[in-house]
Amino acid sequence: MVKKTRWIAYFSVLLLGGMALSGCVSPLPAYGAPYINLDNRAPLPQAKSGEIKPLKVAIAAVISPQGLAESYAPLLEYLESALGRPVEVVQRRTYSEINDLLVAGEVDVAFVCTSSYLAGRQFGLQLLAAPQVDGKVTYRAKVIVSAGSLVQSMEDLRGKVFAFTDPISFTGRVYPTYLLQQMGERPETFFARTFFTYSHDDAIYAVAHGVADGASVDALVLDFALKRDPELASRIRVIHTSEPFGMPPVVVGPHISPHLKVELQEIMLSMHLDPAGQRALDVLDYDRFVMVQDQDYRTAEVVASAVESILDVKQ
Amino acid sequence: MKTSRWRDWAQWFWAFAGSVSIRTKIFGIVLGSTLLLSVAFTLQFRAVQIRLLEQKAREQGVSVARDVAARATDLILINDLYALHQLLLETQSNYQDIRYIFVIDPQGEVLAHTFGDEFPIELLDANWAAGDDFQNTRVLQTNEGMVWDVAVPIFDGRAGVARVGVSDTSLRQTITNLTTQLSVTIVAVLTASLLAATFLTWLLTRPILALVSATEAVSKGDFSQRVPRWADDEIGDLAEAFNQMTAELARADELQREREQLRRQLLEGVIAAQEDERRRIARELHDSTSQSLTSLMVSLRNIEAVCEKPQLLEQVTNMRQVLSQTLDEVHNLAVQLRPAALDDLGLEAALGRFVQEWQRQHRIQADLTVHIGENRLPEIIETAIYRIVQEALTNVARHAQATSASVLVHHRQRDVVTVIEDDGIGFDPGTVSANGHLGLLGIRERAELLQGRMTIESAPGKGTSVFVSIPLLTPEENGEIT
Repeated sequence: MVKKTRWIAYFSVLLLGGMALSGCVSPLPAYGAPYINLDNRAPLPQAKSGEIKPLKVAIAAVISPQGLAESYAPLLEYLESALGRPVEVVQRRTYSEINDLLVAGEVDVAFVCTSSYLAGRQFGLQLLAAPQVDGKVTYRAKVIVSAGSLVQSMEDLRGKVFAFTDPISFTGRVYPTYLLQQMGERPETFFARTFFTYSHDDAIYAVAHGVADGASVDALVLDFALKRDPELASRIRVIHTSEPFGMPPVVVGPHISPHLKVELQEIMLSMHLDPAGQRALDVLDYDRFVMVQDQDYRTAEVVASAVESILDVKQ
Repeated sequence: MKTSRWRDWAQWFWAFAGSVSIRTKIFGIVLGSTLLLSVAFTLQFRAVQIRLLEQKAREQGVSVARDVAARATDLILINDLYALHQLLLETQSNYQDIRYIFVIDPQGEVLAHTFGDEFPIELLDANWAAGDDFQNTRVLQTNEGMVWDVAVPIFDGRAGVARVGVSDTSLRQTITNLTTQLSVTIVAVLTASLLAATFLTWLLTRPILALVSATEAVSKGDFSQRVPRWADDEIGDLAEAFNQMTAELARADELQREREQLRRQLLEGVIAAQEDERRRIARELHDSTSQSLTSLMVSLRNIEAVCEKPQLLEQVTNMRQVLSQTLDEVHNLAVQLRPAALDDLGLEAALGRFVQEWQRQHRIQADLTVHIGENRLPEIIETAIYRIVQEALTNVARHAQATSASVLVHHRQRDVVTVIEDDGIGFDPGTVSANGHLGLLGIRERAELLQGRMTIESAPGKGTSVFVSIPLLTPEENGEIT
């Protein structure tokens, strides 16, 4: 009898031990942690429509969205304070998306590519101003190849891989296509393969990393990239520099009020006189903003017209 | 207070540990230490595992959140919400433990999330990361268990915050599996140690039990017991020591027996010699002295018949009376020394005469009952019983102040019982040592010489009974003794 009780005692000890060890005890008691029921769901609240309508400024993806947002932030902040009105940045992957937004009135102001202006003119895009860099209101395209490659000229890129930036980028696509057109070639037959990087700095890095054999980029962007990343200079080589073309402008859409257009123009053209404005310009390496006329883009238009049939840029 | 409680516990434990058998103690030690070790190990191991897995989960949460934040930056900037949504879904599907991912813009609006149509609104404010934070992890208790919510700023907070929830489901599962496996192992180990304990117990208690039974046999006087030396350990040494001890005891016992035998033989010789001497003296007194005195008596009677001088006659008559008295005394002396009746007529007659004479002499009423059948008992026993009765009645006369006494001699199947009772003042057998009393000592001595036993029943004022039992031995048995 006594023996039986003893065995029962042993086994209850075993059982208790087992139970204490079993998974029924939560391994991690989260003391004081807030309780949230993940099944208690509701539709997300709709975006508040603010009473104050912000000024919507679009920036074409000349460089990567992040770089763009970083470099333009001081300028937009300056605009915001000068206007006394919030400024909302709008970025899109492609140039044509921004043109669409301008035309639709979704965006008031846009920093666009030269060819975007040329393509958008017919839909009512108006020039507001253009940055002046190193005393010039023009820029060039540069064709780059990998530093180690044997390519010396455009001709040597035959049968290679070529990186375009944006489908309607002037320096990134229109100009190299124009070069081929002058040689009596078309990109789709001249190159083994082409692809779009949607930003100039990605095109530079595509060449630097050997993803593409060549690319044509905005000389200003290339200089900026080389300044930021000096090591890049040892990895790429320029084989061709274009004639100067009209600087990529700041445009307004067809629906903007003339009053706002004038106000904006005044702010931009005089911002280099304000130390805060100068600081914002410095970040972008701009001297100042200057007035531009449609005829400043004549040379570019010639090039664009020449390859119009190949690219169908003017939609 | 505290120390006394500890002492109570210690006493309780001591009492408990002391009261259980060695078997239970060994079981307790083996099972207890095994269980203690296993449980301690399991708990420790489990705690370490939980810590490691928790750390892993946190690190995974942070790395996924950082990754999502980095990859979401451009998508948010260019407002590609569909690609953002795809990014979150893809990332979630790549990691089993990721419960949810969502992205909030700087205005606090959810840009994309992995919850489907609707969203648990409470979750929005549960965690946040400032623009200069690397990450910010908070533990949340949800209806699905614990969640580590990691918040990481996107593009230094300018594009919002990415939030990743790592659930503890797989951690719990792992821990449960681990614990189950360890528990199974513990049960297996316990079973094995149970077997080991059984074997150990058997190994340990077998020689001890053998020692116990041998000790019991030794305490009953059996010195032939030897215990085997099972193992070359302390218990083996004990067994050896025990065997040496029993051997010594056996030798001492043998010596004691021989000494006792010698003493008994000596005593028998002394008693036999005494009896012989008494018998010789009694016979001498009877045959020679009594005969001489009787012939003197006859001569005096003759002189009396022929004597005419009254003066002389008177002297002769006086002489005859003295002579007659002397003759009686000689006769009594002879009877006391060795009643001839004991040799000639047997125990019953001898005792009858003795008791009668005793009554007359001491004026105490006495009964004698003898049942010993037709055949006479061996002479040695008759003599012993006679002397025992003689000694006992002498004691009664000297010390008991009794008014009556009784003597019973009864021949039973295998022994002769002699009972001498009186109604005297009695005594306390406990205080008066039987050995210290010469008379009783003599009775015991005689009884034990014949393998008999004496017992005394007495109490102050209750009289005294002396029981003596003497076995009737077969000739062989008798021969053994002498």
